[in-house]
Amino acid sequence: MATVCVMSFEKPLIHMQQLMLRYPTGKTALSGITLEIPQGQFVYMIGESGAGKSSLLRMFYGGVRPSSGSLVVQGLDMRQANDAKIREIRQRTGIIFQDHRLLFSRTVFENVALPLRVQGWQTERLIPRVRKVLAYVGLADRLWSYPEALSGGEQQRVAIARAMTANPPLILADEPTGNLDVDTARRVLDYLMDLNRAGATVIMATHDLHLLESHPGRVVQLHGGTLAGDDW
Amino acid sequence: MIRIPGLKPPPSKNMAKRRVENVVVNNTQGTVPEMAHPRLPGGFNLPPFGVHQVLAVVIVCIALWAVGVIWLGMQAASQWVGSWQQDIHIHVYLDVKKDQADSGKRADKLQQALQSIPQIAAVRRIPPAEAAVWMQTWLHDAALNAQDLTNRLPLTFEISLTDAQSRFLFDDIRDAAGRFGGRVNEDEVNLARAHYWLSQASWLAGFASLVLALAMALIISNTLRMTLLARADEIHLMRLLGAKEWFVRMPFILEGMVLGAAAGIAAWLLLWPIVWGSSAWLLTMQVDLNLWVLLPALLFGGGVVGTLGAVIATARVVSAETGV
Repeated sequence: MATVCVMSFEKPLIHMQQLMLRYPTGKTALSGITLEIPQGQFVYMIGESGAGKSSLLRMFYGGVRPSSGSLVVQGLDMRQANDAKIREIRQRTGIIFQDHRLLFSRTVFENVALPLRVQGWQTERLIPRVRKVLAYVGLADRLWSYPEALSGGEQQRVAIARAMTANPPLILADEPTGNLDVDTARRVLDYLMDLNRAGATVIMATHDLHLLESHPGRVVQLHGGTLAGDDW
Repeated sequence: MIRIPGLKPPPSKNMAKRRVENVVVNNTQGTVPEMAHPRLPGGFNLPPFGVHQVLAVVIVCIALWAVGVIWLGMQAASQWVGSWQQDIHIHVYLDVKKDQADSGKRADKLQQALQSIPQIAAVRRIPPAEAAVWMQTWLHDAALNAQDLTNRLPLTFEISLTDAQSRFLFDDIRDAAGRFGGRVNEDEVNLARAHYWLSQASWLAGFASLVLALAMALIISNTLRMTLLARADEIHLMRLLGAKEWFVRMPFILEGMVLGAAAGIAAWLLLWPIVWGSSAWLLTMQVDLNLWVLLPALLFGGGVVGTLGAVIATARVVSAETGV
């Protein structure tokens, strides 16, 4: 069973140097990004639409490979890594999307159990783990419900439960509060902050700048695919 | 409240509300129904069956049934040919004229030449009296002079064969007959060579089965493609979570195998009415069909075809964001 690592702020979890991403269409999404994210940080990634936030997050889990420069995530050089290594990185990364990406033909239990299934957990073993995680996000009574029966906030909590169920050291959240009202968004942030306090590194792309006041963290600003600011 | 190791419940401005919620969670946990066998995706878990799968089973079943009918027919033909082929004789005719001095010598030499062929068991010269009886029987009540016609009959040799399947036997007989001016009854040769035509037919049956198998594989492949498209999100998500390719594809390959095998069993069951309906007629031809030998062929053949279709369907399941 994977465990949440207790991490120090000394060793960088993510290190990038002159990172550049150019899509096959010719569009340059990111250019000259040099950044270090230590273990255990809570990082907001802000910037206008098209600034490159989502592209950068996708590179952290191997969704796209850097065109040039270097990117090391959890000790793995993402430019050189083969598919098997990328799969390992993904198993050690929790991903939360703005649109949840829940499977609507599957129950809440099945959605949350999916990362554990992928990692080879037997059903008998994963049931108590999924129950615990869902109880933590306040959805223990919705175990066998289908996502369409849940509210937007509840769906996002299911997505958080799915991201945390395998206890990954890195959680990537791509505008997880984008479709939520202010109160629900704050509650979602509460959960993410709590996971960060437990040792997970959380990187969250967001437009909701008001959340930064109530839930402080390191702010990395992107603009037009370049690094425009970093308050660390 | 159940606690995650190392995790505390998140702080909230409305802790009182949270505590109430936790109590609700505690209370409802006992009432949350247990699901003994949750339907988890990936790996060796079969995906749910729907109308597409049922239709695929029906179509593949019809194709497999056609394959079964072809091979059942081959089995019947083989038994039927085997029932009379042992009794077949080949006749060689030699035109002789009574006034020719060497006629008898030529006939003796032909008989010796025929007897020297290893696959010939015996060569019998049919006496004129027997030929006359045969002619009379053949003419029956016709108002013709049988004796006159019998006199016109050529000298006939009846050949019994030991191995009608020998490759050059009939060529050797033709050669021997040709050397002494005789000729072979080619209709009888064709009957004796029925096994050859049967083997040709079995090649054709095999080719037809292959074409049908390919069609079946494509049908299953298309069905699974629809399922894959319907579940693209699930496949995409599994890959995002780091699933291995076999884990993503195995349910579909299993599904293809099950679809094919189910269609094979259904096709085999549907062959029984044919056997029952034709059994009385087939018995008159000494044919006794064995349908059980087709069960493993249809079952495993269906499974293999289904698996092939699934492999084709899953060969290019691309998830753009995951780069796979």
